[in-house]
Amino acid sequence: MALTITCPICGKRSGYEFRFGGEDKGPPPQAAGLTPAAWCDYVHRNNCVAGVQKEWWCHRQGCGTWFSIYRDTTKNLEVAGPQSEDV
Amino acid sequence: MLGRGKRLWSRSKRLKSSYDAVIIGGGLHGLATAYFLATRHGMNHVAVVEKRYIGFGGAGRNTAIVRANQRTQENLPLYKEALELWPVLTQELDFNLMFYNCGNLNLAHSEAALKAMRLQVASAQFHGIDSRLIDPKECKELVPALDVSDRLRYPIYGGMYHPPGGIVRHDAVVWGLASGASQKGVDIIQGVAVTGIGVQGGRITSVETDHGTITTPRVLNAAGAYAAAISCEMLGMRLPISVLTIQAMVTQPLKPILHHVISSGTYHCYANQTLKGEVATGAHMDPWPNYTTQCTAHYIKHQAEALTQLLPCLKGVKFMRAWAGLADMTPDMAPIIDGNDPVRGYYLDCGWGYFGFKSCVVTGKYLADFMASGVCPQILRPFTGRRFEQHRLMGETPALVHYSPDN
Ligand SMILES: Cc1cc2nc3c(=O)[nH]c(=O)nc-3n(C[C@H](O)[C@H](O)[C@H](O)COP(=O)(O)OP(=O)(O)OC[C@H]3O[C@@H](n4cnc5c(N)ncnc54)[C@H](O)[C@@H]3O)c2cc1C
Ligand SMILES: [Zn+2]
Repeated sequence: MALTITCPICGKRSGYEFRFGGEDKGPPPQAAGLTPAAWCDYVHRNNCVAGVQKEWWCHRQGCGTWFSIYRDTTKNLEVAGPQSEDV
Repeated sequence: MLGRGKRLWSRSKRLKSSYDAVIIGGGLHGLATAYFLATRHGMNHVAVVEKRYIGFGGAGRNTAIVRANQRTQENLPLYKEALELWPVLTQELDFNLMFYNCGNLNLAHSEAALKAMRLQVASAQFHGIDSRLIDPKECKELVPALDVSDRLRYPIYGGMYHPPGGIVRHDAVVWGLASGASQKGVDIIQGVAVTGIGVQGGRITSVETDHGTITTPRVLNAAGAYAAAISCEMLGMRLPISVLTIQAMVTQPLKPILHHVISSGTYHCYANQTLKGEVATGAHMDPWPNYTTQCTAHYIKHQAEALTQLLPCLKGVKFMRAWAGLADMTPDMAPIIDGNDPVRGYYLDCGWGYFGFKSCVVTGKYLADFMASGVCPQILRPFTGRRFEQHRLMGETPALVHYSPDN
């Protein structure tokens, strides 16, 4: 069973049209006072969740949009994320 | 005799409440380390705790290729010794590991690839490893079934021939090491998952399992593809690893046509013929992290196209089986081996990607030295996970393997 991903512009498409863009690690660390360890943490280190994670994708062979989705890494299925955070 | 043979390793071992060392994962690296702890250091109060059964992970799924023609001065000596150890271990274990040193032929499909190989060959030769460049005619002599004409989408410009590499039977390595370690008193506990790691005052104190707590001053995380998730979840230590599913397959058995391991980076394809006659071939990864171990039609098709370009006589031959396993990839395609940093007694051996079979015995040997003495042997030092924050990534790959936006 292959992966499908829902682009906010183009809708549900084959996963091979997209490029994985890494785990969602939040905004990049501030440049002021940045240590090599903190930078390495942001650039290289991952949580490697076996389960649902929030992650970046780019619709490379489509509209080119960057967006994030939730995906279950043990099933390769896109899943609904937690509902709006301002509840 | 059938069905009444003696078990290779004892089955009914119960978890004791304490050990000198607990190894997470009954895969290649966990079993090898246990074996060397027991045989070289007299440390036999050791448990290997395996969630499923030994060999369940990459250990039983890999395509069994061994070679020592890597790129960098840190990696070459390790893999060289690894290659030399197969015959030694076969003797020592009194177990036929079926080491078949048929040689590896890596194909170049451009001038640039040949140039890169020239450097790689020179590095290997500098370390006393037999590796040489050959031209398309010599490639054809080695592998007559190879198409060296210009009909290919990417014609063959030459190759890197590495005679001492080849194939080792992966299951035999698992069984041989498990039985060797078990005979020396190591407890191999299957069907028990590690669920937590206890730390007090910066030291390892225990391991939690779904069958109870074990007290121990030393833990080796050798959980293969799950090592990174375990490190993050249980100790809050995130690792520079991405876990991907890697796929492989075999054709129906054929009469002998392929007497070497062949590989091509451009076609993303490698193949060898097993003693049963099947052409075993791999290996592709969907380029996004996942733990599915699912095969995809996409890559079965890709594999058929690549194989029949290189070896046109395989057209019409059927794939019999396809399977997949997990690969824990680091950005520089070299492993992470660490100990006592920052937690005393916590050892880590992971990030092997698709190189963890050929390296398991030698790594286990040195890791056992490390765990028994607390001092990291020189040969393992470059593999510390700290290298990523020191900007000393290794050149095992010409381009960063990075599943993130900057790629
Ligand atoms: C298709 C494929 C082809 C490959 N081809 C090659 C090749 O040709 N040459 C080569 O050198 N390498 C190859 N590899 C890579 C090689 O198989 C791996 O690098 C190697 O198996 C890693 O060994 P390991 O001991 O680290 O992990 P594994 O052998 O994967 O063992 C890890 C073990 O840990 C267990 N575990 C996980 N979580 C827990 C827990 N919480 N508690 C207890 N136990 C746990 C797992 O069940 C597993 O048995 C290939 C891999 C694949 C998938
Ligand atoms: Zn789109």
